[in-house]
Amino acid sequence: MRPRLRSTLAGIGVVALLGVLPGPDRAAAQPKPIKIGEINSYSGVATVYTFPYKEGLAMATKEINDAGGILGRPLEFIHRDDKLKPDEAVKAARELTLQDKVDFLAGCISSSVGLALSAYAKDAKVLYFATHCQTSRLTWDDGHRYVAHTTNNVNQYVRFAARKAATLPIKKWANISPDYEYGHNMWEEFSTYLKKLKPDVEFVQLNWPKLGETDHSSYITALLQSGAEGLFSSVWGAQSIAFVKQARPFGLFDKMRYVAPSVGNPDELDPLGKEAPIGAITNPFAWYDAGLHKRHPKLEAWTKKYTEWATQKGLKDPQPKLGASWGYASAYIIAEAIKRAKSTDTEKVIGVLSEGFEMDFPWGKVVMRGCDQQALPPQWIGVVKLDAQGKPIAADIEEVQGKEVARSCEEVKDLRAAAAAKQKK
Amino acid sequence: MSSVRWLAALVVLVVLPLLLPSFLVVVMTEIAIVALFATAFNLLMGFGGMVSFGHAAYFALGAYAAALLVKQAAWPMPLALAASPFVAAAGALFFGFFIVRLTQTYFAMLSLAFAQIVFTVLFKWKTLTGGDDGILNVWPPPALKSPLAYCYFTLAVAGAGMLALRAIVDSPFGYALRAIRENPRRARFIGVNVRRHQLFAFVLSGFFSGLAGGLFAFFNGSVFPDFAYLNKSFEPLVVVLLGGIQSFFGPLAGAVGFKILETFIARQWPVYWPLFLGSAVVLVVVALPQGFVGLLQRRSWRIRAVR
Amino acid sequence: MLDAVTSLFPWITNGPLIAVQVMSGLSVAMFLFLVSVGMSLIFGVTRIVNLAHGSFYMVGAYLMVTLVETLPQHQAMFWVALFVAPLGVGLLGGVIEVTLLRRIYHREPLLQLILTFGLILVIGTLVLIVWGPDNKSVARPDALAGSVRIFGQPFPSYYLLVLGLSPLVAIALWIVFYRTRWGMLIRAATVDREMLGALGVDVATLYTQVFIFGSWLAGLGGALSAPTVAVALGMDGDVLTTAFVVVVIGGLGSFAGSFISALLVGELQSFGILVFPAVSIVLLFAIMAVVLIVRPWGLLGRPEE
Repeated sequence: MRPRLRSTLAGIGVVALLGVLPGPDRAAAQPKPIKIGEINSYSGVATVYTFPYKEGLAMATKEINDAGGILGRPLEFIHRDDKLKPDEAVKAARELTLQDKVDFLAGCISSSVGLALSAYAKDAKVLYFATHCQTSRLTWDDGHRYVAHTTNNVNQYVRFAARKAATLPIKKWANISPDYEYGHNMWEEFSTYLKKLKPDVEFVQLNWPKLGETDHSSYITALLQSGAEGLFSSVWGAQSIAFVKQARPFGLFDKMRYVAPSVGNPDELDPLGKEAPIGAITNPFAWYDAGLHKRHPKLEAWTKKYTEWATQKGLKDPQPKLGASWGYASAYIIAEAIKRAKSTDTEKVIGVLSEGFEMDFPWGKVVMRGCDQQALPPQWIGVVKLDAQGKPIAADIEEVQGKEVARSCEEVKDLRAAAAAKQKK
Repeated sequence: MSSVRWLAALVVLVVLPLLLPSFLVVVMTEIAIVALFATAFNLLMGFGGMVSFGHAAYFALGAYAAALLVKQAAWPMPLALAASPFVAAAGALFFGFFIVRLTQTYFAMLSLAFAQIVFTVLFKWKTLTGGDDGILNVWPPPALKSPLAYCYFTLAVAGAGMLALRAIVDSPFGYALRAIRENPRRARFIGVNVRRHQLFAFVLSGFFSGLAGGLFAFFNGSVFPDFAYLNKSFEPLVVVLLGGIQSFFGPLAGAVGFKILETFIARQWPVYWPLFLGSAVVLVVVALPQGFVGLLQRRSWRIRAVR
Repeated sequence: MLDAVTSLFPWITNGPLIAVQVMSGLSVAMFLFLVSVGMSLIFGVTRIVNLAHGSFYMVGAYLMVTLVETLPQHQAMFWVALFVAPLGVGLLGGVIEVTLLRRIYHREPLLQLILTFGLILVIGTLVLIVWGPDNKSVARPDALAGSVRIFGQPFPSYYLLVLGLSPLVAIALWIVFYRTRWGMLIRAATVDREMLGALGVDVATLYTQVFIFGSWLAGLGGALSAPTVAVALGMDGDVLTTAFVVVVIGGLGSFAGSFISALLVGELQSFGILVFPAVSIVLLFAIMAVVLIVRPWGLLGRPEE
């Protein structure tokens, strides 16, 4: 067994050497950068969202550093891939805090990753800025002082969609959403708020295809029989495209009004092309919309700058997707929090976050609310239409401030208490 | 292995965590867990000649058992950890009963099917398992919390597990298992109850996989359904492949090598890591029949290669 | 009692609905058949379970996207793309067989499984690098973009193409396997490879041909299904698990078995969500497990040894 032990020891020796070898060293003269450990999914299926997000983040970081950085120090994001797995994310978080000695943690696209990172942050007493993931549990039910959320959560945009749905003369609603936490969460938020606004609505059929289902024909036939006049759906990405393509020739969208928060975004509309669900109500980031440009004069220049940046970085689709705006905002919000705290000390920054602040972005004002450290950006509603060239876009954009549709601080307190009580049992 | 070498190894394992930076201590802990899982898996594959494509199921059962006992039944962590392999073994007994009646490809496929079923149950039984939210805040008690403390704890537990596996492999049972692997018919002729031995090996393998899962639950601080998913089942397979199927310590060496590669490459080029891993697997299967460890040694094997 | 049944399943008395549901199930079945039969065929002859079969399906769909985009924008080009895309996948399969699989035929089957699993990772990442992460789509040709009425219910015309094409493919395959010399060699190989080699047949080339053919079928499945789904990363995993179940239930190596099993699974998926919504997700694997326990070689497969 000797050679085996030798090779095992050799392996351990290499590991030890790796630890002893110096990492990339900063030149002594330059000010020490503020390091943020950013954990997200940079391989596989999530890249359609995280690639633009990363570029938005990078563009903002460059802007911040060109303007002198924060507290005279450059901002630096160290990225790690979580492979969409919460245990990988926690491992990366450990590495970033112990090895790279980052000042704060950030990131997530998958809600379970976000929740796992939040649990780690609470335990390790490290401040974690959740970015792309959407679950409201992050800052509400399972919220605590060591987590902040720099983008909206599902509650905000779904409620705006429900508000719009309540204005329609439709009483019977059906649902088709993916059968996992996010899908259930979305329907829960939509249906309860809709019911509150319009008590006489009826929910006639609930469908829960598995996440990533490729063939929805049975659900479509069931829906056609349901008698519903409106259909809510929180399917997203490839599943949303597949569902729309399959439902359309069945005449589903002629029979019922389609409300789908994600379908108005270019990563779903563009591939759909002429098969897009015209008339669907959605929550888009319509960066191209003339009305939006008028309301937010800085938006057009920003989208141009981002498109150039992304093209240069080699992104195959360089248009500013929603994720790009989220990445951009996240970097600035983190920077602002540190700036206001005048320090990278965790407690001081939490202090700033718990007081809350506001920031202006090219697409409107973002409020970082103090009671839950949750971002409240502007929310949009639009309708899918074909433009003059026959390309599907989101039009008739309406806007509302995030705090008008989000749960109040009181409601958040109740949610946290309820969650805590469940834990104790 | 002579007692001097054992002692040397022990000294290294005790001293090394003290010398390494905190992060590498964490890596070491993880290597220990993966090595235990892979060695348990190799009991079945290398020594039993049975390849399971769904071993993550037992890993996950152990992890969830540990997590649920701590969170729902308020058991102290050491007790929950001690119970977790038994839950996994129960699962292995139930599934194994059906699986060992099949051979080769069908064995692998049924083990895969069962693992997918376990995954789906974990995913859908939200009230018990929390569904895809998982179970969070599953931490070891304060005494074992720090990376160093948990590393020693894991080394001790995983080490004990590997010693036990070693004893099993070197026991009459272990040799009967090898005989079955080489030629089941001949083994039957000399009076070995093939089915019972295979099932027992399956259960033992599941037992220690569950122990690895329990250790991992507290290491990670949370458990999720994807602990039972296909990717996790391939982890011990790749590790054993890299390290060499034939030897007892092959999986350990494979675990060390795999983790080094992963740490080095996956963090630099996350997009390309699956490409690298896939290519490495292809390369090893095509060009290196004895795994990378085989490259380091040129001795001919005492045990003939599995045909 | 009857009331209880009808209240649980209100659609049960709805004839037209059932008819449409059956036909949807059939089109799903046809897709499954195209993908699974290739996998079954490859196993039957070479004894390799090609886990990368889903990846071939995915490449077929992506090639379809590129061809439709780059060819002149004319309706007829859709059919050209549909013809060419599977050929590309066949070529890929051929390259893989010659460079990699040939070296491992003598190894134990599970190492072969591991190798094809490695290929999933390689091909998946290459697709990401070449085509990028964005979702893609292929529009249905105008002639088939709408729907027809079946008992008054709308039914997508494109599915009629699939329903029409697949049996043609099945018949063509049957002719190839049972009426040509090459088909006879293939059938012989599934029964006894060694004997075939002893009789002087170039088994190595036969293997390559079979693998190319199987990959071509997977690519055809992918290209054909591209207009009905999103062409995106991850589609390899989805189709692989289902195809795997179909092939196991039907019997590895059995052409007719794949057909029947595809029909079963297709209809089951179609009605499963109506009848057993809560467990439909696990239903397939449970059935696969039952088949493996009770009759491992599937419905029409051949028992080992």
